[in-house]
Amino acid sequence: MINKGPWRVGVLFSTSGVTSIIEKSQLKGAMLAIDEINAAGGVRGRPIEPVCYNPNSVVARYGELAEQLIREDRIDVIFGCYMSSSRKEVLPIVERRNALFFYPTLYEGFEYSPNVMYGGAIPNQNSVPLGNHLMETYGRRIYFVGSDYVYPRESNRVMRHVIRQGGGEVLGEEYLPLRTTTATFKDVVARIMEAKPDAIFSTVVGQGCINFYRAYYEAGGRGMERPIASLTTNEAEIEQIGPEASAGHITAAPYFRNLESAANRRFLASYTEKYGSTADVTSCGEAAYSQMHLFAIALEETGEMDADALRASLQGTSFDAPQGTISVDPENNHTYLHALIARVDEKGEFVIAHKVRQSIKPDPYLVYPALNDWKFRTQKVVSS
Amino acid sequence: MTDVLDSLRDLNVAVLHRRDATGDELLQQVHRIGCPVESHWPVPESLPDKVDLLFTEVNEESQTDLHRMLERARRVPLTLVAIIGYENPSVLSAVQKIGAHAIVTKPVRAAGVLSAMVMARHYWADRCRFNRDLEKMRTRLDSLQKVNDAKFILMRHHGIDDKEAYSIIRKQAMSKRTTTIEIAQSIINADGILRNFRSD
Repeated sequence: MINKGPWRVGVLFSTSGVTSIIEKSQLKGAMLAIDEINAAGGVRGRPIEPVCYNPNSVVARYGELAEQLIREDRIDVIFGCYMSSSRKEVLPIVERRNALFFYPTLYEGFEYSPNVMYGGAIPNQNSVPLGNHLMETYGRRIYFVGSDYVYPRESNRVMRHVIRQGGGEVLGEEYLPLRTTTATFKDVVARIMEAKPDAIFSTVVGQGCINFYRAYYEAGGRGMERPIASLTTNEAEIEQIGPEASAGHITAAPYFRNLESAANRRFLASYTEKYGSTADVTSCGEAAYSQMHLFAIALEETGEMDADALRASLQGTSFDAPQGTISVDPENNHTYLHALIARVDEKGEFVIAHKVRQSIKPDPYLVYPALNDWKFRTQKVVSS
Repeated sequence: MTDVLDSLRDLNVAVLHRRDATGDELLQQVHRIGCPVESHWPVPESLPDKVDLLFTEVNEESQTDLHRMLERARRVPLTLVAIIGYENPSVLSAVQKIGAHAIVTKPVRAAGVLSAMVMARHYWADRCRFNRDLEKMRTRLDSLQKVNDAKFILMRHHGIDDKEAYSIIRKQAMSKRTTTIEIAQSIINADGILRNFRSD
């Protein structure tokens, strides 16, 4: 019997809770890709049908819902997760049941599972270019602020090494709970103002990120003078922080909405048509969008949802993503990605200032990145 | 611990295992971790000198060729990670006999390989340091014993206290530009000869 039903995929992004701002943009990216694939006739004539659950930003729920998707909904392919802690919940479940899990988020590296496709940047793809740029442009005295979980601690370890290698100094390092109010950030900001760093490296995520930037602004901190540099503050957060408080701050990511390219223009036009605006387009959303397309390309080839067949097909597959061409590294299931550094202007828009010439090979087990590696040198982007 | 991580990619790794799913998974993960890695099977006569860390299958069989190969390995002991399929007492005692520093169990998963390598290397470095320290302590204890013996000989012959005896040894060492241990050894030797002479 030939199955003519849809290809069903599970989608686990939170539309409520602390990390919902970014996860909603990932959900939109994934849904847009599904619409595009289906509009073009689906995969082998069959549409992709998403089964979405909302884990409500509760770490344990991601694992429970992944189990439910596989066991009850009989789904073998899942897209989802933002925080590393939620990925760690899903990981043993997809491994045990040999499902394939797409993780479209930057994370701290030091992981490989045959059942996970990693779509976001890891430290050698974003921390090193950002560290280089900060020290060359702003100075060598950096203050670290992060949310208290695995990603900030590990990415600070890498950044600390990059800064020391460049002869810089880490003036302070603070970790705050995920739910931290603007009032609590006041103390942190006061210590930062006291220390007078050349720049602040922030790995504060979710709602806390918005509260932190606002608290910094309220205390007189100005991005144009002393920027907050981040790997996680995307267009969606900037939108919420507002143009005054976000002006001058810096983010390094594989993608920004304002990237000038034909592929990105197509992506944004398609996004606007579906959602009415591109205000919440983020690099994680772009990663979710691109991973869904990579999956469809692989599925077209295999014609079955089997994890082993899909993985074999995905390894080495490339896609003309909004950020430029990306491809899956067959050695480690991570993705070759681009590195861009952008600064927020007075209107609250990211302006790409520097980029790395070629896409960077993922190196998930890199303990100490070399600062002088030519691959990570950034070049100035001349605005047109 | 940081030193181990710092120099992880300088480690030359060898895997002694059949090229089956376990062997391949292990080779790929070591490669991902970023270490130069080579595969050997069956157990070779000897390993290249450059190998620092060896993953080797350990089972309940006698494995004489493995033991022979390890004995033939260079003088600096290898860091050893045992690959085991069964957690039964005979396999585990074979693991201890071979002197493994860590274990990975089959089926080998990518997760866990890095931890095994880091712990093995850490434990191995500790063991090397303990052995070095132990050797140093032994020598020092030996010297201390010698100086004491020499002091007693001087005290007996000259009716002096131990402070004076030590100061004689020290002065001799300084004037002859040698160590107190050398002088102590000469005193002990001389005393032995004289004693034999007397008893004749």
